[in-house]
Amino acid sequence: MATAATAPAYTSSESHGATGLMSWLTTVDHKRIGILYLHTSLFFFVVGGLEAIIMRYQLMRPNMQAVSAETFNQLFTMHGTTMVFLVIMPLSAAFFNFLIPLQIGARDVAFPRLNAFSYWVYLLGGVFITLPILFGLAPDGGWFAYAPLTTRTYSPTQNMNFWVLGVQILGVSSLAAAFNFATTIINMRAPGMNLMRMPMFTWMSFVVQWLIILAFPVITVALFFLQFDRFFGTNFYTVTAGADPLLWQHLFWIFGHPEVYILILPAFGLVSEVLPTNSKKPLFGYPVMAYSGILIGFLGFGVWAHHMFAVGMGPMADTVFGVTTMLIAIPTGVKIFNWIFTMWGGSLRFNTAMKYAIALIGMFTIGGISGITHASPPSDLQQTDTYYIVAHFHYVLFGGAIMGIFSGIYHYFPKMYGRKMDEGLGNLHFWLNFIALNLTFFPMHFSGMLGMPRRIYTYDAGQGWETFNLISSIGAFLMAPAMLVFLYNFFKSKKHGEVAGDNPWDAPTLEWSIPSPPPEYNFAQIPMVTSRYPMWDITHPERTAEIPHSTKGWDEARHRSDEHILPGGGHMADMAPAHIETAAKTASELDIPMPTPTIKPLLVALGMLVMVASLLPFFAGKTSAFVVLLAIGAGTMIYSLYDWLTTPLEEAH
Amino acid sequence: MTRFFRPRQLVPVLSVATLPLLFAACSGNYPNSTFQHTTEFNRDLTSLWNQMMWWGLAVFVIVETLLVYVIVRFRRRPDSPEPRHVHGNALMEISWTVAPALILAIIAVPTVRSIWKYQTPAPNGSLQIEVIGHQWWWEFKYPEHGITTANEIYLPVGRTVNFTLRSADVIHSFWIPGLGGKRDAVSNQVNHLWYTPDSVGVTGWIGSCNEYCGASHANMRFRVFTVAPADFDSWANHQKAKAVYPPPAPDTVAVRQVAAAPAPAPAAIAEGYVFPAAQRPAHVVPATPIPAGNTFTEGLTGDPQRGLAIYSRSACIGCHKIDGNPMSIGIIGPNLTHIASRATIAGGLFPNDTRHMQLWIKNARKMKPGVTMNSLGKGEFDPILKMTVTVGGLTDQEIADIAAYLQMLK
Amino acid sequence: MTSHAAAAEGHAHEHHYTTTGLDNRKVAIWSFIGSECMLFASLISTYLIYKGRSVVGPLPHETWTDPSTGAVFKPILNIPITSASTFVLLMSSLAMVLALAAVENKDKPLPANAGWWDRQLASSKLWLWCTCILGATFLGFQAFEFTSFVHEGLTLRRNLFGSSFFTLTGFHGAHVTVGVIWLGSLLAIDYKRGLRPSDTLMVDIAALYWHFVDVVWIAIFTLVYLIK
Repeated sequence: MATAATAPAYTSSESHGATGLMSWLTTVDHKRIGILYLHTSLFFFVVGGLEAIIMRYQLMRPNMQAVSAETFNQLFTMHGTTMVFLVIMPLSAAFFNFLIPLQIGARDVAFPRLNAFSYWVYLLGGVFITLPILFGLAPDGGWFAYAPLTTRTYSPTQNMNFWVLGVQILGVSSLAAAFNFATTIINMRAPGMNLMRMPMFTWMSFVVQWLIILAFPVITVALFFLQFDRFFGTNFYTVTAGADPLLWQHLFWIFGHPEVYILILPAFGLVSEVLPTNSKKPLFGYPVMAYSGILIGFLGFGVWAHHMFAVGMGPMADTVFGVTTMLIAIPTGVKIFNWIFTMWGGSLRFNTAMKYAIALIGMFTIGGISGITHASPPSDLQQTDTYYIVAHFHYVLFGGAIMGIFSGIYHYFPKMYGRKMDEGLGNLHFWLNFIALNLTFFPMHFSGMLGMPRRIYTYDAGQGWETFNLISSIGAFLMAPAMLVFLYNFFKSKKHGEVAGDNPWDAPTLEWSIPSPPPEYNFAQIPMVTSRYPMWDITHPERTAEIPHSTKGWDEARHRSDEHILPGGGHMADMAPAHIETAAKTASELDIPMPTPTIKPLLVALGMLVMVASLLPFFAGKTSAFVVLLAIGAGTMIYSLYDWLTTPLEEAH
Repeated sequence: MTRFFRPRQLVPVLSVATLPLLFAACSGNYPNSTFQHTTEFNRDLTSLWNQMMWWGLAVFVIVETLLVYVIVRFRRRPDSPEPRHVHGNALMEISWTVAPALILAIIAVPTVRSIWKYQTPAPNGSLQIEVIGHQWWWEFKYPEHGITTANEIYLPVGRTVNFTLRSADVIHSFWIPGLGGKRDAVSNQVNHLWYTPDSVGVTGWIGSCNEYCGASHANMRFRVFTVAPADFDSWANHQKAKAVYPPPAPDTVAVRQVAAAPAPAPAAIAEGYVFPAAQRPAHVVPATPIPAGNTFTEGLTGDPQRGLAIYSRSACIGCHKIDGNPMSIGIIGPNLTHIASRATIAGGLFPNDTRHMQLWIKNARKMKPGVTMNSLGKGEFDPILKMTVTVGGLTDQEIADIAAYLQMLK
Repeated sequence: MTSHAAAAEGHAHEHHYTTTGLDNRKVAIWSFIGSECMLFASLISTYLIYKGRSVVGPLPHETWTDPSTGAVFKPILNIPITSASTFVLLMSSLAMVLALAAVENKDKPLPANAGWWDRQLASSKLWLWCTCILGATFLGFQAFEFTSFVHEGLTLRRNLFGSSFFTLTGFHGAHVTVGVIWLGSLLAIDYKRGLRPSDTLMVDIAALYWHFVDVVWIAIFTLVYLIK
């Protein structure tokens, strides 16, 4: 806690001189990239939230005419797209970036510049897909973009082009990041950090990276087909050419269902860090928690058609997908009980992070139970595409993923900024959010089962839906002050929060063994770990006495120490048994090579975006604009990529 | 910063807030509820739901009770001892793996049984109805009777109905929540859905499109009338006949009107059964307000004869079909042969009366977003073509005449 | 600086301590290949799902007569020519193996009795050239095939078969093109400073990609061309 006295706002790149805009544009530090992800996705969270509030205003009473049908359709399309691709995934990515190297005792990710590239592609893709809503040109085919509605015949305007191109761009970002983090976790763990000692957040992230690696190519292909149909006149979804409109649905959901687990597993990981820390108890059934995460990921690939029980797949397919969907409830249930028994007999500290973590358990359970009712295909026929489904997946994604992520933000804020967030405001934020969540989404169970379809911009009076919609709308309006409280707390605490120290929550894992905020090299000496809870081994050995300790992996590391360099640079002599680091020296003082900041990933991303955007004038038949944009984009991209590939990561050291 | 908010104070607040919600859910008038025991399908689905809900409720109570207990019991206090550091318990973990598996197995049995029961071909003798989804209206055909109609179905109580679902364009989904589950109408695919409305009264139902299908997805509704079998036959016999306008000779009309006055019953048979407007439940009567900017000259009286002539030389005939009007052979839009017998127009959006019909003909695209039917009124702005209608536009008088003609097509 | 050309990402040190002992780039390329498997699986499945659903010809294995014009379209796939191009691509994989071996063994002195063949085997330039040329030849076959198909009336827009066939084989062709450019850049390095055994990993990664692309083609050739 020695560094705490002057705990600054985030400054970890002293050796490269930097604060200021340029330092952010050129950063390759995983922690700074994580912080960029966090801020960008919070911005998009506000955008997606505003879209929702406008929709809830329109639906507050029957036959409202606050917005037109066209606008409403753009709003719900963008709300879904934003929350999935621009908010929850990148919020998780913020934690992947910030935490994974710290949790596994590495000095960096495997490919720092690729990491910067992922972020810039995300930012530019997010702007590309979001900006058109200001001009009434936003995508309007739903976040699921079912063909043939989204083909050129039925969506002849530019609107859907922003979606088919934008989501493709975001896919590049996710895939690049997934290769990077998968490699980081496989290959850059500190000596002794074997798989069954990884913190649970890293475990869940590891599963998620594989889900991204295996699921995103499928949506990539589906999107290529749709792009080719729209831009080049192919027939993949052309009804008159004999196409099967269900092709899109199958491809989309083969991606789309694993996507659900991509959204929820990182939040599961975060609460699996928060609960033990604030209960003074180790995670209950660590191996089962890890295995159930893997099993959820694995089964997640076998349940996609449960989104399609109404399309007429036939009884055999319905049976198979109904049963596999029910199976997936088992590992999920295991997680719920293991969390509860992590707290059982503990000494619970109810800070905001803990409240959010507990809220995840309670709320996700509701989403899980309603999920079972439409895992049964016949029952689903009364539920699918109604507000009941809207209620279900908001309990899963808001009550689950967002609650978990807020828990993570409150928990890890001190590590990011060296200061704590205000607990009073945090408490207010939590309760406002918790009430708003239930007020908004619980009544939707009723409106759905009482016959209200989804995605309707208006509904007639006298259908029995008035009360529930009114309550839902009031709940949605309440989310705005909740978010404002959070944002105020977030930005205020960065500068004026209570100074936190290295390990303010008395947490068990490696990221808490280093100063807050961490120096750019993370670990002056790479920790060699002997158990799952290296910090508790030091601070509370009694808590970890019952689990096996060993120096397995150390010998191998030492054996290679003569010739090898540590993960993220540095020499083997820098290795030491897990310890608390207080030293605040610069990387150059410690002789740790750090990657050189570079603008090239940003330029490559920019070139790629311009190239993709050139298809918009092509669609409108403006060939010269298309050629010019394509040339500029391709030129920028190829030149910067060449420059990137021929420049070493670090300056000669 | 001090604490703004004491969570424990919230417990009564929350319970008070939840109560009206539960009351609201349990009482009140819910005409589109999915839990109505109207068909064997819906009864099976409700019983399936009930089983799942009880199990779900049990799980919910167990989890949330444990959670609340843990929160209250193990809250950290100044004198809290250091906890015991349990890392897991194989027996417990196995039990909460096996228990949910058993519950799911119990649920799976009726699930699988229902899947196979309702995905077999419909029983013999079912009433066949072909459903074709269009952006944004429903076309219904009764092949048995040779009827083509739109946005409205009549079902005889007690007879199994087998819907054959197709789409003319994008994917739609056919759903009558009060009668049973939904099924998609998928392009290039034929789907089926059958059930028997055996425990229903003579009443009306709302149906809707449930798969997002573009601009007016919300405005793709239809009405279902469950009627006595004899009334159904009367309705069907009349619907399959050609349009009764223009009348064969002017005197006949006069004679019939005179004759009808003292003895209404035979006339009613001649007209065919129509679900009486006065008996329609409130929720099937559209309350959609007329969108701003739609106006029509007050006080015009339409002449059906003139209307017939204008209709037959206007764009109308390119898209609409009227059996009995040899000029009107279009198939893009709804069949209008017995338009005046229907309760609603415009995909169930508006009631079928003269005023709405006039406004609809004048500028359909301002009445319902995105519709295929052009704006027709002279001087009207077409929001899709983004231009004002000039040449060939209809005057209000002409529109009133056409509306008068259409209102004759009982 | 350029001595690190195509060394791409990763810290510029040759020997890195890693958990598995493998280089990060090698782990990454394997995960990338996993992802590519799903990409081609989706493309191939689509082709197979759409096989037989086209409402007009030309068709892959069947003769189709246009009912309105009476024009006859013969089965369009030319299996002998594609067998030849498949052979060419397979041979390129062999050349790739030899190129990798040549780089790996560059520091090993040739045996005293080394003949002409041994000297050729030691030439990384020769085998990289061979791989590149064979890859380019495959692309030439594909260009020929595409042109003649278009000539016979099968375009991207013609029918479902045309859309799914050109997209699938086009994606594969694009992968081969990327591979040829990649190998070309290795060749450029070889000419500039000579590939050393310390560059083995760099060549190994390119080789993994190349073999993967080759294996995908075997799957495509079997499922699209051979199975009727």
